[in-house]
Amino acid sequence: MIECNIRLCVGCRMCEVACSVFHSASVSPALSRIRVSKLEEIGLDMAVACVGCSEQPCLECPKEALLAGARGEILLDARLCDACRVCEDACPIGAVGFCDDRPLICDLCGGEPMCVAVCPTRALSCREGARDISLRAFQNFVGSPGEKRARYVRAQGEPLRASWQEGARVDS
Amino acid sequence: MNLCRGNSLRVDLTNRRINRALAPEKGIGGRTWNSLTLFEELRPGTNPLGPDNILCLSAGPLTGSELIATCRFIASARSPLTGFLGDSGARGFFAPELRWAGHDQIVFTGASDSWVYLWIDDGRVEIRDASHLAGMDITETTLRLRADLRDPDLQVAAIGPAGENLVRYAIISCNLARAAGRTGMGAVMGSKKLKAVAVRGSRPVRPADPERFRKACAQFKAAIEGHREFEPRRRYGTTRIMDSLANLGVLPAYHYRSAVFEDLHKVNAEALRRDHVVKSKSCYNCNVFCSRYNYTSYSEGEGPEYEAQAAFTVKCGNPDLELAVGVSNAVNRLGLDCISTGEVIAWLMECRHEGLITDADVDGIDLSWGSREALLRLPGLIARREGIGDLLAEGTRRAAGTFGGAARQLTAEVKGLELFSADPRGIKGYGLMNAVNSRGGDHYRGEPMIELTGDEDLAFRRVGYREAAHRLEDKGKGALVRYAELLGLLSDSMTVCKNISCCMDAMDFDLAAVAYSGLWGREVTAEELMQACEHVSQVERQFNLREGLRPEDDTLPARFIGIPIPDGPAQGTVIDIGKLVEDYYREKGWNGGVERESGGNDSDAG
Repeated sequence: MIECNIRLCVGCRMCEVACSVFHSASVSPALSRIRVSKLEEIGLDMAVACVGCSEQPCLECPKEALLAGARGEILLDARLCDACRVCEDACPIGAVGFCDDRPLICDLCGGEPMCVAVCPTRALSCREGARDISLRAFQNFVGSPGEKRARYVRAQGEPLRASWQEGARVDS
Repeated sequence: MNLCRGNSLRVDLTNRRINRALAPEKGIGGRTWNSLTLFEELRPGTNPLGPDNILCLSAGPLTGSELIATCRFIASARSPLTGFLGDSGARGFFAPELRWAGHDQIVFTGASDSWVYLWIDDGRVEIRDASHLAGMDITETTLRLRADLRDPDLQVAAIGPAGENLVRYAIISCNLARAAGRTGMGAVMGSKKLKAVAVRGSRPVRPADPERFRKACAQFKAAIEGHREFEPRRRYGTTRIMDSLANLGVLPAYHYRSAVFEDLHKVNAEALRRDHVVKSKSCYNCNVFCSRYNYTSYSEGEGPEYEAQAAFTVKCGNPDLELAVGVSNAVNRLGLDCISTGEVIAWLMECRHEGLITDADVDGIDLSWGSREALLRLPGLIARREGIGDLLAEGTRRAAGTFGGAARQLTAEVKGLELFSADPRGIKGYGLMNAVNSRGGDHYRGEPMIELTGDEDLAFRRVGYREAAHRLEDKGKGALVRYAELLGLLSDSMTVCKNISCCMDAMDFDLAAVAYSGLWGREVTAEELMQACEHVSQVERQFNLREGLRPEDDTLPARFIGIPIPDGPAQGTVIDIGKLVEDYYREKGWNGGVERESGGNDSDAG
């Protein structure tokens, strides 16, 4: 699953561009399954895509349109989806987007994720089949996907900001 | 000409009416659209801070596409600082979002009677009350709008207190610290009581000829990654220029009194990175990501770029880099142009040093070189027009009028726009660029970088003079500046980052034509793009002549004329600016700087 090292992410959004070009032959962050949350006031940038959490709340889809693939990725059966947006609400970190009445979830590009390939700082990596990240701590937050991503990134960035406070600089 | 018409959103702030139109026919995008709109629609002599001025914000034909660093918007209006054509570009993420919302240009006319902001949500456009945002700085404004509209990914272009208070060098900023900084576009926005533009877009940018377009993208990427400055720019961004300029002997230490700064090692790129930079930052879709985030005991924020770094250290004689970084962060939040603000402060310090003013003339603020009090207090006073700040908010040219003739002799501005942080005498292409370009004292119209390379083959290939590869040569500088200006105008039209397209010589007219044709699916040639730029360059000159520009305005500040660089590696260098300007006029076909000579290929301007 896609993981982003917040210490390396510079917030360029090349991953969003690559994702939307791969999946829709056009540039549109709204169509990207990976979204960069940029907390400009505290200097944090982090790309957020499905991390393959151990809880998998999106699979509670009432139409059973979503299922886990062999690599741990979430796959959509578009014929079953009725755009109820339960999955979008269920994802605690805003990794399920919605556009043109369809959920957008990372599918690992079928095995060779484009975002990992284009990331200029190698902040992104892919661990297939990982299911060891719990997002339970984020489950009670209600908000838009963007707000959920921002909250998640703020929490992920706490150790990094603490290191700045202690004097760590870019080369240290 | 086969150019596309952009979608133009017409916002009448007086009557609160919004219409949709098309951007000008002969423009490519960005600055070309804006300059044509202003030339066609703005009545000569319009008060820059009155309701009749027109403020244009434009993206361009490649903005928000897969092409690297197509990230800028250009803001244009009649400048309240110069009285001539004003424009400035900002990088970051605002322009791509505007494009994704389906809009290429916004033209603001009239003025609101209370504070408003424009809210663009794809096709839905509303003028909304912004009375709760008045008085907020740029960071507060941006965060408040993101919270109000419940979208932390919202893109916002805003003004700060400086713009609200009509400081003549106020900026429009997006992403908290990416500024359209020059010529006071933020003051024009403030005069219209327009606090911000918030935008969210979800429409895809899809190339009509994907194969061709992606080929251009790959070629551009390869040119960038293969450039000798790729790695240093990634590491230091523009801040590395400080050491380069020191080596060339053109540092503006103590407000151009010396080319040598003894504490250079305390304030240069290496010191900044070692002590204050915590990470790299990027604009939209850029593999160079040359920006940096700072974290200091004063504050934190994105930047500084070279200009802010140098303005608040070397130029003011200040060896305390952390202080300078703190000032840079504060200036960004207040919404002031760091170049003009630094120039105002450094010029005041020199006036005090020369005994032309005393601390009592400036509210008792200590104006000795490097004064911590001056650097910390003056930006806030200027932005709020409090005390001496009210006069300094007018810019150095107007402020000098109050302090008298000797103070006027010390200013470093052209046409009222304050100069960058380098001595124009020792980099003659840049010196000429500052003297003649359409917006006044400014290095960034285009970048005559070739004069710093020593690459005679490159100089010959680009402009026909081998000598143009050397910064101290006079020969070929007219041709070099003409070429650099056109390339800069192309970048300002395509809205590509000029640090890449111009400074890294990565985009020429041929590549731009392939990218344009590939994205839009219509055949546009390099020659057509060049002709469009030539045409708009002429229109911009006519705009300025119409506003009263005289050929004698095309010069450098008096302090650089006939006086050699006093010390350092370029000691003794003088610049014959009159001769260089004549050469430039000849290249432009401008008879005495005024008329286009007959036989020119562009008789249809306007």
